[in-house]
Amino acid sequence: MYEGQALYHPKGWWTRYVFSQDHKVIALQYTCVALAIGLTGMFLSLIMRMQLGFPGLFESIDAGNYYQDVTMHGMIMVIYLLTALFLGGFGNYLIPLMLGSRDMAFPFVNMLSFWVYFLSVIILVCSFFVESGPTGAGWTLYPPQSILPGTPGADGAGILLMLGSLAVFIIAFTMGGLNYITTVLQSRAKGMNMMRMPLIIWCLFLATFLGLLAFPALLVGAIMLIFDRVLETSFFMPEIFKGGEVLNYGGGSPVLFQHLFWFFGHPEVYIIALPAFGIISELISCHARKNIFGYNMMVWALIAIAGIAFIVWAHHMYVAGMNPYLGFFFATTTLIIAVPTAIKVYNWVITLWNANIKMTVPMLYCLAFLITFLIGGLTGLFLGNVAVDVPLSDTYFVVGHFHMVMAVSPVLALYGGLYHWFPSVTGRMLDDRLGKIHFWITFVGTYLIYFPMHYIGFLGVPRRYYSNEQYDFIPQSVNDLNQFITICALIVGAAQFILLYNFVVSAVRGKEAGSNPWGACTLEWQTLESPPGHGNWGDKLPVVYRWPYDYGLPGATDDFVPQNVPDEQIT
Amino acid sequence: MDNIANNEERFMGLTHGQVFVYTLMTVISILFLFVTNAYLFRMNFEDWRSVPIPSLLWVNTGSLVLASAGMAWAINGAKKSDLQTIKVGLAIGGLFAIVFVSGQTWAWQQLTTSGFFIAANPANTFFYLITALHALHVLGGMAAWFYVTLKTFKQDASILQPESIGLLGTYWHYMLLVWVMLFGLLLLT
Repeated sequence: MYEGQALYHPKGWWTRYVFSQDHKVIALQYTCVALAIGLTGMFLSLIMRMQLGFPGLFESIDAGNYYQDVTMHGMIMVIYLLTALFLGGFGNYLIPLMLGSRDMAFPFVNMLSFWVYFLSVIILVCSFFVESGPTGAGWTLYPPQSILPGTPGADGAGILLMLGSLAVFIIAFTMGGLNYITTVLQSRAKGMNMMRMPLIIWCLFLATFLGLLAFPALLVGAIMLIFDRVLETSFFMPEIFKGGEVLNYGGGSPVLFQHLFWFFGHPEVYIIALPAFGIISELISCHARKNIFGYNMMVWALIAIAGIAFIVWAHHMYVAGMNPYLGFFFATTTLIIAVPTAIKVYNWVITLWNANIKMTVPMLYCLAFLITFLIGGLTGLFLGNVAVDVPLSDTYFVVGHFHMVMAVSPVLALYGGLYHWFPSVTGRMLDDRLGKIHFWITFVGTYLIYFPMHYIGFLGVPRRYYSNEQYDFIPQSVNDLNQFITICALIVGAAQFILLYNFVVSAVRGKEAGSNPWGACTLEWQTLESPPGHGNWGDKLPVVYRWPYDYGLPGATDDFVPQNVPDEQIT
Repeated sequence: MDNIANNEERFMGLTHGQVFVYTLMTVISILFLFVTNAYLFRMNFEDWRSVPIPSLLWVNTGSLVLASAGMAWAINGAKKSDLQTIKVGLAIGGLFAIVFVSGQTWAWQQLTTSGFFIAANPANTFFYLITALHALHVLGGMAAWFYVTLKTFKQDASILQPESIGLLGTYWHYMLLVWVMLFGLLLLT
């Protein structure tokens, strides 16, 4: 497994396509499973929206399964779709190719990582089929309610399957993460020093570090919660009376779980956001035909974001009550993290300044990301302040905020990335017209969904209510808006099938892409074969002579110079 | 052509295996840091009643020291390309690790027999959780030990695996260090 390790060659169909150790196949496996479970998560959100927009229309939606849908939607989207797709999908595909390596450092462990991830998804899906149904505790799984009878899924296997699935996912992530770290540090082509790595590799590298250091907190919390549920221990469970009887719990602290959860939970935001930043950096430079502005500054901003991400977690817990000085500390760190984030946004905007912007589908997604991330970030400044957060925390304002910043923004980057790298994976282009239709419906639609939620939040509408009908303080206009949001959500949901259709049809009948259809400088477009074959580089590994953003180099024949082209071959 | 580890750029002259194992040990350290933090947080509550530490844990600690010493012997053998020393070292390292894990389960039995059940008090729960998590990591190391030992016993001295044995030894020493710190925490609180 170490120095001099031979590249594994598949011996038949099963080891080539199923139990493959090739990073590109594993990337596709991650992508397909993550998109499949992500579609499930999207359907759950549409069920929720049907209840909120048209309460009582579907008798099968009761309070119990509404909360189950909310919980599963949140967990699926954050962990099993976005984390898995960004790191398992994009990470696996891009890291070895962009670094000029033949494969991940430990291909067998990489394969195991996918199959353990797949097992975690299976365990999660099983919870839909057990008698209690999945847990309805909310994606934060706060005890004591998450494991007490009365909460959907708590008195059956639902909550245990969720916690077990998370534990298995963390094992999968750790196996993948150790591989990414080793590959980035050890398997770079000659000349590819750390400050010549594409920004997306930096982003994936740092996001992996964040995950490796943050997921253990969730693992510890999950194990302790399983103990409390199964063995009736009291890590998190205070003394509880139910129907006049004292339960077998006492003395535990629910706030301890909140600390463990959010120590993972906030870095998780950046585990998703950093790969999105990386995708945007690659796409914006390539499709604007201009070198990225402030590469070094971008790298240090990323490192700063990754570091500060570990000292902001309690801003999710203001309403749980805390020492005011502690609140002040976490509000300050939360506002400070906006500084390196703003540096990145400014640099992207300056990259666009006077650039030769090509309005390709990936560029549309980049521009949409910039606006959306800015808006989501600005509402984050509201919520980072204790005094503003307390009244807004349990309202739809928070739903609007976090969907803009960590759902819509990363998904826009994700889609941009899929359109950009689809030709590298399949050798064919996605249909441009379908891509633009999909883009505009998704972009405009998501704004029509989430902007009104900020307004509803300002009206004080609580975000966890199953039905808003019986409350005098909620005006009729909120119900009208909810209907509007639901209709928009249905349209946006349906539009995602345009992307799926585009994928399937273009993979078979799409226009031939050639080896480097976007004219990109990075190494994944410089392989001998397109799509790249097993081992990526034929007989000889590439040698890197320059940074990854040499667009518009004076004196060069083309408007881009790939990383593996020496100075003497430029003209 | 077929070598996947022949790239030129390296991080601080480390090997692939070293980066992998050092990063893994960092992740495990973070895991135990969280458990320890939770322990220190929870012990401030008034229902906390410390567990009497079974004296068997001293014997178990001794076993883990011997396991670590066995691994050090194997590493020494690998440096000298002495297959016999490697085999003896690996055997001692593995055997005493098994003795350690068995001893831990015996200590749990002693505690439950004395009425210190897992859910009776948070201190009991933490005792079982901490020792079980550590034992699980030792068992994880045993999987790697089994793989390396099997290869070593199949091979002759000309194709030794000094790096694998070195990394295995590092993990064994690390498990001892973690245990000494956890044991100290349990003893002092």
